[in-house]
Amino acid sequence: MPLMDALPIRGERWARWCPNRVMLCLTVAMLAALWGLDVVSVAPNRIVQSTGYPVWQALGLPGAGLATLLLTVMFGLAVHPERSGYPALLAASCLLLLLLPFGLMLASHWLITPGAAQARLGIGPAYWTLLFMLSLCLVELRLRMRLARGWMLLIILAILGVWWLCAALWLQPLALVQEFQARQEAFYRALGEHVALVSIAVTVSIVLGIGIAMLIRRFSASRKSAFAVLNFLQTVPSLALFGLLLAPLAWLAARFDWLAAMGIKGIGWTPALIALIAYSLLPMVRNTYIAFEAVSPAALDAARGMGMRPAQCFWQVRLPLALPILLEGVRITTVQAVGLAAVAALIGAGGLGTFIFQGLGQAAMDMVLLGALPIIAMALMADTALGALAEKLRQGDHPAQGERA
Amino acid sequence: MIELHNVSKSFGDTLAVDDISFTVPKGRFCALVGTSGCGKSTTLRMINRLTAHGGGEITLDGQVVAAYNPVQLRRRIGYVIQDTGLFPHWSVARNIGTVPRLLKWPVDQIRERVEELMQFLDLPVDAFAHKYPHQLSGGQAQRVGVARALAADPDILLMDEPFGALDPITREKLQSMLARLQARLHKTVVLVTHDMDEALRLADHLVVMRDGKIVQQGSPLALLQKPANDFVDSLLGGLERGLKQASLTRVRDHMAPLGPTLPAQSRVPDTYTLRQALSVMLRDHCERVTVVDKSDVPVGELSLRKLVKEAHAEQGHGRES
Repeated sequence: MPLMDALPIRGERWARWCPNRVMLCLTVAMLAALWGLDVVSVAPNRIVQSTGYPVWQALGLPGAGLATLLLTVMFGLAVHPERSGYPALLAASCLLLLLLPFGLMLASHWLITPGAAQARLGIGPAYWTLLFMLSLCLVELRLRMRLARGWMLLIILAILGVWWLCAALWLQPLALVQEFQARQEAFYRALGEHVALVSIAVTVSIVLGIGIAMLIRRFSASRKSAFAVLNFLQTVPSLALFGLLLAPLAWLAARFDWLAAMGIKGIGWTPALIALIAYSLLPMVRNTYIAFEAVSPAALDAARGMGMRPAQCFWQVRLPLALPILLEGVRITTVQAVGLAAVAALIGAGGLGTFIFQGLGQAAMDMVLLGALPIIAMALMADTALGALAEKLRQGDHPAQGERA
Repeated sequence: MIELHNVSKSFGDTLAVDDISFTVPKGRFCALVGTSGCGKSTTLRMINRLTAHGGGEITLDGQVVAAYNPVQLRRRIGYVIQDTGLFPHWSVARNIGTVPRLLKWPVDQIRERVEELMQFLDLPVDAFAHKYPHQLSGGQAQRVGVARALAADPDILLMDEPFGALDPITREKLQSMLARLQARLHKTVVLVTHDMDEALRLADHLVVMRDGKIVQQGSPLALLQKPANDFVDSLLGGLERGLKQASLTRVRDHMAPLGPTLPAQSRVPDTYTLRQALSVMLRDHCERVTVVDKSDVPVGELSLRKLVKEAHAEQGHGRES
């Protein structure tokens, strides 16, 4: 009925107005944070309390104006997303993320007198809020635009690269950079330890997890008790588990010399590794079990009926069909292990957690950040990379299952 | 040739298949018909040893199946199942090439065979070879399933309710495709179905099963003329039996030469079944129809009286050519 369509109906315009509410809220919140919260803080040296500065003092009017302009443009785009398109929103978000370190440079130019080598620039709450909200924007835009995870990974890597470059070359006064430069060697060692802990724990738990899942499938009577044990392991608080492992491991090391010679003792990497593996087992076993259960019985029946040997059934049909869900288990396990390994620093296992706990002890928030930020970045990258891999493997499969909200 | 002698199978305490015997000669089409849970699928799966049989003996070309290596045996037998069982992570072409790949055919030969089969089953190679099963309609997927079963050119084809999950129109299409295929390839086929019409339409030999036992077996006409008991009668459609029988024979086997009278207005092609001819008479309110050949030239006529008289007498075998 074209005539009816042409009639102006009250409220019609509003009914058709379908803005992207998520982006609207995020941009409004970002504008509020930008103007309401401190953008940076400056302290004359490491010990003295720092003072915060709002956006117009930190970035100067041109900088503040540019940031506000970009956010306003994003707001405008979010009002009519179907027309202007999401690519523009994505571009604006990425541009803002790329400009963040340059803002810090501006701030150090305005607020820090040249020659004050001890002066430190702290990142203020407005900056963190902006960073967090922009990440949320990226998530929302990825879902709306149905971008593959691989593309997102590329974008994030590019942005991180630019940040790294800026921090290394031009952001000497930034407290974070100063903390890093003071303990560069320790940082790389801790990073290595962290990666080693996580990768060993995840590798072992993949092997063990698949093995246990296969055993549970073979002996289906054991399913309930096996999952009960794994669930129990998962509920023990991590610190308590470290404590529980301390005594028996110390006893073992004292009793058997060859164990002590291997470096096994009550504290250090041994209990950390055992605890990490114990926590990783539940998601690994559960996902492996579900993955193998979910393989279509018709496909397996056909595989057998076509004359595949049991091994061919497994490698050609069962495993490839189970792999996406299995990888999901690896993803959950890895992200969880990256976080948990931070706690392991408490029992002397090293890793990036060391900086967090040292920083907390010295009330030096920038040192805490030095430990926390790489952990967050690692978790995000592991999540995105493994998610992208699972998505790729799913290609032949039903796309409906592949879309995770 | 497939022979079953006094074959039984029990799962725990329940006897799924109870002392059944039947023979499918080479190149013939046998249908196992019955309600669900009557043991027909189990019987089928015992032939390619997906299920081991209990008592009795199953032989293929005179050799007992228990003596074969099950893997080699299955590669020699085409197998089609209701849910298609296509491998969702493989493209259509790769799915069809499954058994030749297992048999380690050279790559070129596999590709040639796959393309030949796709053409044969009306699946254009360019459009379908690289599609994945989830992109196919039910009918297309099952055609791929049939192509996959035929890939290594087996002598024997086992089909477990292949068209059970399809809508009536698609089912009808695939049934005539299978009939055409069988007319050309002459495989030894065992089809499991609960759809008596499908069995009547496709099979030379019907085996009706109930509770693991064979209730009656024989040619479609024999069953229609003399159902052994009420169960077979009800499977055959009870009162509809007469019509089903009429659908077994074709007009060209029963028409009379053109008489001196004016040809009737209604025309039916000579490939129609008697049932379809009767339907035309009912539709057009006439007792006489003119039979025409492929090029619409009148070749004879058929009267209601003749149709009624002859529908029961003959064992026509001109089905679906």
